[in-house]
Amino acid sequence: MVGEPILVMLVEDNVDHAELVIRTLEEHKIANKVRHFLDGQSALDYLFHRGEFSVPAANPRPHVILLDLRLPRVDGIDVLKAIKETDSTKTIPVVVLTTSEAEKDVARAYYNHANSYLVKPVGFEEFKKLMDDLGFYWLGWNTNPEIKE
Amino acid sequence: MRQFVQPPEFDNDETRNNAQAVYYTSAGLIILSLGFIATTLLIAPELTFRSVLLTSVAVPTSVAIMVLIRYRKVRAAGILLTALMWLLITVVAIMAGGVSAPIFFGYLVVILLGGLVSRGGTSIIAAAICIATSIGIAYAETNGMLPPPIRYSPFARVTIYIFFFVIAMMLQSINSRNMKRLLRQTRESEKRYKSLLENIPATTYINSLDPNASTLYVSPQIEKLLGYPREAFTDDPHLWIKILHPEDEHRVMEENQRTTETGQPFEMEYRLITKDQRVVWVKDEAILVQDESGDPVYWLGVWTDITSRKQAEEEQAGLVGMMTKRTIQLQTAAEVSRAASAFLDLNKLLPNIVELIRNHFDYYYVGVFLLDETRDWASLRAATGETGKHMIEKGHRLKVEGSSMIGWCITHGQARIALDVGVDAVRFANPHLPLTRSEMALPLITHGEVIGAMTIQSEKPSAFSRVDITALQTMADQIANAIENARLYTERVSLNRELEARNAELERFTYTVSHDLRSPLVTIRGFLGYLRQDAEAGDMVRFENDLNRIGNAVDRMQMLLNELLELSRVGRIANAPEDVPFEDILREVMDQLSGPLEARGVKLEVTGGLPVVRVDRIRVAEVVQNLVSNAVKFMGEQPHPLIEIGTIGKDTDGKPIFFVRDNGVGIEPKYHERIFGLFNRLDPTIEGTGIGLTLVKRIIDVHGGRIWVESELGKGATFLFTLPTTEDKG
Repeated sequence: MVGEPILVMLVEDNVDHAELVIRTLEEHKIANKVRHFLDGQSALDYLFHRGEFSVPAANPRPHVILLDLRLPRVDGIDVLKAIKETDSTKTIPVVVLTTSEAEKDVARAYYNHANSYLVKPVGFEEFKKLMDDLGFYWLGWNTNPEIKE
Repeated sequence: MRQFVQPPEFDNDETRNNAQAVYYTSAGLIILSLGFIATTLLIAPELTFRSVLLTSVAVPTSVAIMVLIRYRKVRAAGILLTALMWLLITVVAIMAGGVSAPIFFGYLVVILLGGLVSRGGTSIIAAAICIATSIGIAYAETNGMLPPPIRYSPFARVTIYIFFFVIAMMLQSINSRNMKRLLRQTRESEKRYKSLLENIPATTYINSLDPNASTLYVSPQIEKLLGYPREAFTDDPHLWIKILHPEDEHRVMEENQRTTETGQPFEMEYRLITKDQRVVWVKDEAILVQDESGDPVYWLGVWTDITSRKQAEEEQAGLVGMMTKRTIQLQTAAEVSRAASAFLDLNKLLPNIVELIRNHFDYYYVGVFLLDETRDWASLRAATGETGKHMIEKGHRLKVEGSSMIGWCITHGQARIALDVGVDAVRFANPHLPLTRSEMALPLITHGEVIGAMTIQSEKPSAFSRVDITALQTMADQIANAIENARLYTERVSLNRELEARNAELERFTYTVSHDLRSPLVTIRGFLGYLRQDAEAGDMVRFENDLNRIGNAVDRMQMLLNELLELSRVGRIANAPEDVPFEDILREVMDQLSGPLEARGVKLEVTGGLPVVRVDRIRVAEVVQNLVSNAVKFMGEQPHPLIEIGTIGKDTDGKPIFFVRDNGVGIEPKYHERIFGLFNRLDPTIEGTGIGLTLVKRIIDVHGGRIWVESELGKGATFLFTLPTTEDKG
């Protein structure tokens, strides 16, 4: 595994939030690469090698997916469902990263097999801490399944 | 001794007289026979044998007769005596030489005796026997078969004559006494009967056999019964027909004809009009009286005054009828009320009520009017039959004022009856209800307020009375309550539904607000942290960049808050609706949006007429503004951007359908519902808060309209909505 680039997929419609996530992850050298998608449709296209992402080699499977829930076009929950209902993608850990604290969203996320549910903290230090921990946990401590396509 | 000499007592006078006559005659015969023997011994010894012979027959027979009388066999005794007399006279006459013998007179006595002992019959037989015997004797004498006639001295002859005269006189006197007594008895009995007839509390009459039953006799009670003197009925034998109650005349004459033809007893109860124009109920019972040979002679009838009985009966029947009617009314009223309370939907309740009432009470037509909001008009909301359906479809309504029954009833809050009889006869002129002859209008009052009225109509000329109002008003009150309940229920249901919708909206609102307001905060706080780092690192480019991000987030938050405030105001703060030409609104919006429209090079076309709408002008302008600016925003790469605005027909409520059509990117059908939801945005790259269409929908909702979208991806979008106009006020 050493030497293999660690890819994080970020599905986030808010460009500012995406910038915050990417900047924090990069600063802490947690992930080699973050691929950002503004909406659910393009994220799914990437995962399922559709359209512009049809060459698997150029579009490797992410180690972990950071998924916002409120997305344009295909909603976050629908993205989650699609990932978890497809054999080739269901083993990828999906961490829901959203501003919503609503119980309904938490329940729906876990019901659809989300691996974790995190609420974006309001506050710079808290945000950095969360990203640190998240990186360490999912990309360090956590043993991920073999990547097989 | 006296007991032996006198015959026994009999209850019947005639029998007693006859018994006495026979008894004393027999006794006389015994004495006479003995006297005869004595006389013959003294005067004419040559006749001794004869006298002894006669006496030996006469005395024992006479004794036997007297014994029979003692044994009360008067008739047998009488016949035996008659027979004895005949025998004696015949024997004596034969022995005396024929018909010239003075004894021949005795036959007269035999006939009288026969008549006495048993009227008619025996006397005829006796006479016949006597005549036959006389002829026989005459024949025998003529042919010399008899001994030579005895020569009677004139005195002997006279003595014998006298004897028979006396006996004849005695018998005749008894007979005449009997006749007199009979006559007297008959008279007395007639007098008794007549007195009875003319004193019983009933009028007797005798009518002739002719078809009109002319009066031959009428008892004097008639005067007391009818006020006419009895002569009036015999003077005018058809008076009884003339004073028949008009309503009874037909059936009485019919029955009279039937009984005249069949001879069956006549028995009827009917009314007569007295001389002073009172109505008297009589019971008339008559039988056809026949003579001995069975031929009808006359009608014998009795009139009994049954007025008081009839009155009592009528009163009772009236009372029972009224009670029954009242009971049925109350029962039905209760039933209708109960059934009415089972319906909570006003649109089901009212038609059911009118049908229930009409069917239960068998009325011609029932309708329910309810007041409209202005309380100036009462609209027919439910009515029976095709007529009712037709009138409701026509939107039948009545002005609330005195001129119509319903109007009066609602104005005064009181029931009213109109009947097609009597002095105040009402002519019902509704061409849809040609059979109505009486009408009752009942106010529908609940909580002291008149909410409408009910009309009940009947084909009978006087179907309603004041008393009916009591029962039916109770029912009307119940119905009014049921209507009010249904209204409250419907109101509650719609309130509940609205509340639920509001709750769901609020929940969605809280959810989205917490999410969407939090989002810029995350950005602000996050980049504030980096700002510090940037400053420390002296990276002014990134500092500027991060500062801009913060600024944008703050602006965005500001916009969100403003639009949320705007959204919350819709429906809460409403400007009074005004009649405004849609064109004016459009022009206003176009002025505001002229910048963006020109910048994108959008061509604007107005198609179809733009009517005058009755709306909150400012809000509707917001609707148009949102829709048009959305159209501009989602033009995409369209080289010839075009926005069309206009109307396209009317919806089922008659409201004009407006549309805003663009030839931009279009919306996939699966998002058609979602786009109206709060904070739902299709494209994050296009600026906006996701409140615009929610606001539009809210404004259209508040106006009682509807909004929807027709679109396909890449083929532009058409937003359609309805707005109220001046004509419909909801």
